[in-house]
Amino acid sequence: MMMTRKMTNAKSLPSSFRDPSGFLFTRENILYRQINRAYQNDYARLMDSGLYDELIRRGLLIPHAESDQPPLESEAAFKVILPQRLPFISYPYEWSFSQLKDAALATLAVQTYAMQRGMSLKDASAYNIQFLRGRAALIDTLSFEIYQEGEPWTAYKQFCQHFLAPLALMSYKDARLSQLLRVYIDGVPLDLASALLPAKTKFNFGLLTHIHIHAGAQKRFADKPSAPRKGGVSKQALTGLIESLKSTVKSLTWKLGGTEWGDYYENTNYSGAAFEHKKQLVQAWAAEKKPGMVWDLGGNTGVFSREAAASAAFTVSFDIDPAAVEQNYRAVKKLKEQSLLPLVLDLTNPSPALGWDNAERDSFGARGPADMILALAVIHHLAISNNVPLPRLADFFAAHGKWLVIEFVPKSDSQVQRLLTARADIFPTYHKDGFEAAFARRFKIHRVEALRDSERYLYLMERYN
Amino acid sequence: MLFSPHPYLDPGSASALFQILIAALLGAGVAIVSSWTKIKSFLGIKPKKNNDDDAENDER
Repeated sequence: MMMTRKMTNAKSLPSSFRDPSGFLFTRENILYRQINRAYQNDYARLMDSGLYDELIRRGLLIPHAESDQPPLESEAAFKVILPQRLPFISYPYEWSFSQLKDAALATLAVQTYAMQRGMSLKDASAYNIQFLRGRAALIDTLSFEIYQEGEPWTAYKQFCQHFLAPLALMSYKDARLSQLLRVYIDGVPLDLASALLPAKTKFNFGLLTHIHIHAGAQKRFADKPSAPRKGGVSKQALTGLIESLKSTVKSLTWKLGGTEWGDYYENTNYSGAAFEHKKQLVQAWAAEKKPGMVWDLGGNTGVFSREAAASAAFTVSFDIDPAAVEQNYRAVKKLKEQSLLPLVLDLTNPSPALGWDNAERDSFGARGPADMILALAVIHHLAISNNVPLPRLADFFAAHGKWLVIEFVPKSDSQVQRLLTARADIFPTYHKDGFEAAFARRFKIHRVEALRDSERYLYLMERYN
Repeated sequence: MLFSPHPYLDPGSASALFQILIAALLGAGVAIVSSWTKIKSFLGIKPKKNNDDDAENDER
């Protein structure tokens, strides 16, 4: 066995070590899930009760096939399964409001179908949800357990911390509070959420009970020895709890507004002709290179992401503005787009590696590189607003992608002039020649096109290996 | 301080105790709503159509 392991370069994933039911591992770059004997009965119930088929039909669970691969740790092993591989793993602190809300509703829908088949979710972690062909779905096949009448829902506290608390904070306070999930890896502590939420949330029955009173109860009962729990929560009571969580989540909304970038396309001064020209070029270059994975860095509401997505296997559209990402995600849902994922990301401080040993959640860079990067109307923000020297920008893009479609916005452009009004111009090399010199160190420049009716240029570059 | 201020106190079991209380209340609510729906349907009152944003999620 050790021989095989060495020969095949198999290793377990650092993101799934907690669950005694099994874990993920890769072998020859293929992702498998080992199921342990401890989980045998629960797995049999999931598959035999019809729950698995029902959840797959509804797109609520990631499909898998049973595999004849040898397990990684054979002593405990019961089975090895081959889950469908996702093109890109995203995390709740990268989701917009509606993405987190849909993830919450998907979790509750899974719990409802599970209860109809005599099972229950043993955890309700937001990290167990991913966007599968555009829709929120559970990716942890081992989250189910056989339901014992009378048992409370083990995942209740986790659901409130991972979903309800951040959604309430985003809805009632500020959408940027989703970033608390980056600090608290097991969700927002309820006492913190209760303290941050405005007093009027105490008049929302769901938030009053599941967050405010729940937080108070945690404090009050924390030092009391726990009472025997058998027979504590009837099935009807559990249904009531799940339905209450559902209606509380549904009642939370976020009105688009106060957006920084959401109305960017209306505010820009450059003409419709330049905009259309840029769209044509992005579309044509993506069609020519047929990239597997495209990252649109600074994708706003995804207009250009969609031009590339038409020829790409999968496109991730990153933007710093949660309102733009929200609009983009709503469009994905409306158009039923299956290969476009909008995410919130601050390029000047991208998602780090998080969790135990800094290895549970991958950094932004570790989830790449992409085949093609789009960096449209973004370079002036990085170079001028954020003072990143051009050679460092070239290094950054070279580290994350092979092909680069990048727009150069000169100083004479009114958008750049706006950035320079409030500060000294300390950027003597920020001009077309300086830009090309900096990027030519890392990239072969294949095409340069002057965008019609504007002073901007669009480049197609290929990284030197 | 490296961990939470009360490392030996388990807010998880406190949550479970709280859940027993609150779920009983919410379960009673479900029972009342479901019998009210039955009475209404007995009287021939049709339930309202759900057409909000989350209709799509209800279908799932």
